[in-house]
Amino acid sequence: MAILEKETPATEASDSDDPQSSQAAVAAGVAASLAIASCGGGSGGGSSGSGGSGSSGVTDAQASRFLSQAALSARDNIWLLQLVGYEGWLNQQFTTPPSGSSWDWLVSQGYNAETYRYSNSSSDYVIWYRLITSPDQLRQRIALALSEYFVVSVSGISTQWSQFAMAAYWDMLCENAFGNFRQLLEAVTLNPAMGLYLNTKGNQKEDVATGRAPDENYAREVMQLFTIGLLELNNDGTVKTNGSGQPIETYNQDTITNLARVFTGWDLNTGIAGPTATTQFVMPMQLIASRHSALAATFLGTTIPAGTDGVTALKIALDTLFNHPNVGPFFGRQMIQRLVTSNPSPAYVARVATAFNNNGLGVRGDMQAVIRAILLDPEARSDDALALPTGGKLREPMLRFIQWARTFNATSAAGTWKIYDLSDPASRLAQSPLRSPSVFNYFRPGYTPPNTAIASAGLVAPEFQITNEPTVAGYLNFMQSVIANGIADVKPDYTTELSLAGDPTALVKQINLLLAANQVSATTEAGIIAAVASISASTPAGQLNRVRAAILLVMACPEYLVQK
Amino acid sequence: MKINKSADLARRAFLKRGSMLGAAGFAAPWALNLAAIGEAAAQTATDYKALVCVFLYGGNDHGNTLVPYDATNYAAYRTIRANLATPQANLAATLLTPATALPSGMQLAMAPQLASLKSLFDQGKLAVQLNVGPLIVPTTVAQYRSGSVPLPPKLFSHNDQQSIWQSSRPEGSITGWGGRIGDLFLGGNSTSALTCMSVTGNAVYLAGQTAVQYQVSTSGAVAVRGVKSSLYGSAACAAELRTLITNSSSHSLENEYAVVTRRSLDTEALVTSAVAAAPVFTTVFNTSNSLAMQLQMVAKMIAARGTLGVTRQVFLVSMSGFDLHDNLLSQHPVLLTSVNEALASFYGATVELGIANNVTTFTASDFGRTLTSNGGGSDHGWGGHHVVIGGAVQGGQFYGSAPAIAVNGPDDVGQGRLLPTTSVDQYAATLAAWFGVADSSMATIVPNIGNFTTRNLGFV
Repeated sequence: MAILEKETPATEASDSDDPQSSQAAVAAGVAASLAIASCGGGSGGGSSGSGGSGSSGVTDAQASRFLSQAALSARDNIWLLQLVGYEGWLNQQFTTPPSGSSWDWLVSQGYNAETYRYSNSSSDYVIWYRLITSPDQLRQRIALALSEYFVVSVSGISTQWSQFAMAAYWDMLCENAFGNFRQLLEAVTLNPAMGLYLNTKGNQKEDVATGRAPDENYAREVMQLFTIGLLELNNDGTVKTNGSGQPIETYNQDTITNLARVFTGWDLNTGIAGPTATTQFVMPMQLIASRHSALAATFLGTTIPAGTDGVTALKIALDTLFNHPNVGPFFGRQMIQRLVTSNPSPAYVARVATAFNNNGLGVRGDMQAVIRAILLDPEARSDDALALPTGGKLREPMLRFIQWARTFNATSAAGTWKIYDLSDPASRLAQSPLRSPSVFNYFRPGYTPPNTAIASAGLVAPEFQITNEPTVAGYLNFMQSVIANGIADVKPDYTTELSLAGDPTALVKQINLLLAANQVSATTEAGIIAAVASISASTPAGQLNRVRAAILLVMACPEYLVQK
Repeated sequence: MKINKSADLARRAFLKRGSMLGAAGFAAPWALNLAAIGEAAAQTATDYKALVCVFLYGGNDHGNTLVPYDATNYAAYRTIRANLATPQANLAATLLTPATALPSGMQLAMAPQLASLKSLFDQGKLAVQLNVGPLIVPTTVAQYRSGSVPLPPKLFSHNDQQSIWQSSRPEGSITGWGGRIGDLFLGGNSTSALTCMSVTGNAVYLAGQTAVQYQVSTSGAVAVRGVKSSLYGSAACAAELRTLITNSSSHSLENEYAVVTRRSLDTEALVTSAVAAAPVFTTVFNTSNSLAMQLQMVAKMIAARGTLGVTRQVFLVSMSGFDLHDNLLSQHPVLLTSVNEALASFYGATVELGIANNVTTFTASDFGRTLTSNGGGSDHGWGGHHVVIGGAVQGGQFYGSAPAIAVNGPDDVGQGRLLPTTSVDQYAATLAAWFGVADSSMATIVPNIGNFTTRNLGFV
């Protein structure tokens, strides 16, 4: 199989395209994006290619590729992207308000009834519903990425009405996805679901009489996973070394013991007060001053003086973490991994970290600047990256499923969206939103599959941590069934594809474009077309089987599975 | 993919180890020769042995797993643990009475939920390894505090300490000691792909220089339905599906995905038919206990060993949920109940299969935890207590040193976090030696073993 054939057949070589230039008049975020464009070095002529393109000069394949990184499906978005360009599309998405309240949806579905007090399946329903139907695709995509960084799992919180806790967590991520990282960090920290998951809720100050010490869980993970990581980083994400060439650890147990004092005294506003009391899961946790440690806390070069009130102490602590130089490269690299590629170059990480550090207007932590920097970077946009033998990332199984559902207009006839936890590895997807087995997500950003060319090359492939003999089979079996039958009462609508069933070439090319951004090579595509064509289309059943086979064969091949 | 290429794999593993040692610059030529002797010995093994790691993800609270019982130490425990202490009266039935008593009258009881394990201890089939954890060299609290000796990196961090337990290195490590043991024995297994087996997801523990983890689900290997006879009614589409998912690619991620898929397809039928044809056992495994279901599949694989053509296998199963910063009192007993039930069933199945003397099961975990309470639970620690079970185990005894029950005591690095007095390398080396790894090869399995005087702890 020749990798070079992967190029969109009719796309002409184009070293760099500069969609920003044609969209420079778009109102919001111009200054920030120009700053990014200039450090990204993008200049020169626009791209060209067949398959139709609007004023932006973006080809069908380029549009679909961008959408595979920034959205949840290319369906109904390619033309729009071609009309307004990459940045115009981003700006539209940035100004689209959150598409609805997950909390309200649960109530509308009756999950506040007594019978659901200890049932959390509806937390799965509501998140699938949001991901499959919400028009604010970029926000949903970013929220999903954030949910794998600021991990809360419904399996790991013990409370009544946990579905409402998870709905509120999802809504919080959506609301903060385009805001500022500092506010996001505080919203995460004081969110009741997170408080329940990492035990800030109910955390009490030290007690000399009994020897009780503050719970250290959040203090540790907010540093290790949510802000700075374990090792000091350069702005490009590479590890700093000391004079002996050794990595420098960012903190030690003493740091945690001190920082843990800051996270004492917090609790739900009113305790569990019935399913729809927003005080318990929507409102940030509140400080109970008498439970907050009065001891001084010294960490990361900052000292919070003894006797500082808890709200002030929290502000100092979060400011300190937020302003640590690691955050930009640490967070930025992982967001690149979720959206674009497992192995960004240090220069790419540095460009994103620089946007985090300063959006061009002197603001640190501007999420929109970070998202722009990730998605408009030459490493994300250049057609050259398609030919790299190590580029891109393995698509997350849950994103493949969401993409299928959106692309083929899956709907729930009853509006109930009863899609369960899909994380069973042998029969489903080995992954499901907000169901991570631990705060370390389904896979680690540094995971390298052992004994592979990936490992030999010193590269990482996080999603391979959930790729093994049962999961590759389980995925195929699950999709074979879902493509044919849907799941629960969520059924696809293949009307558009059925209209192409008489022309297998057109059918497969359409699916290749929508699902794989034409990254399934011509050779592979030819094999799929021949197999699909072998099914007789003389009956409606045969036509339907052509459509089903075309979709599964595209979604099965590694050229689709690895999003370049 | 050919799966019966054991000799070739073993030779490549050996050559890789040689070059690795050479490149690292710490291997004298004689080390290679000794490794070669170990290899030759391993390849001649004709009996069957299985080593089963039960990993307790999250960091098991050792303080409430093995509890001081004598009056003095129970009082100290009760004071430090405060609200987390298990009532002494609840421990009477699981008080352990080892062949050799611990010094100074210390008595230890298992958690009340571990009654079946206590029974195995009494039968001499279960040994307790006290205070084991990652160390690079023997370390005192004073040395820890002054930083005068090398310490394992990223102490107290879940993912890194899991990785260090499994591989001697923090996260990012690409070979583990289970896999490195597997490298030595690939040659003895006619189906070498089944040397290192997981029933619980990808883990560095099972990756060798050459050995590759093979995963089964709790119901066995999973077949790809679409490649069987027809896909949506089409044989041509089924054939095309097989082609697509197995094709090589010059893109490393695409290619690796296909490699995993080929391994899945190539081995599934063999595993499925062998398990179906294996001797059945009547030992009951609780179907609602995830760990029990994993161990049942291990037992089935062991029962099928003849058909599968394997003489040495390394298995990994796991249970999660042990990171009990909160709700320790309500949840830890639930977890231990499952552990007790699963391990007892598994040992029972190996007895029923007549293979108990050839199967050794041991526990591992991220770390032990603080002895002090944070109100609802305990926080990340370092050393902890573990158990080793099997017919070959020299059970009914404690191994290692019982830690002082004290905050700021001789074994405490803060809030009752234990400084290990036995290293994971020693623990692993003891298990590896039983499995058949020659002492001369041990440094390739556990790199720090040379820093410890006792290379075999003697529990098996």
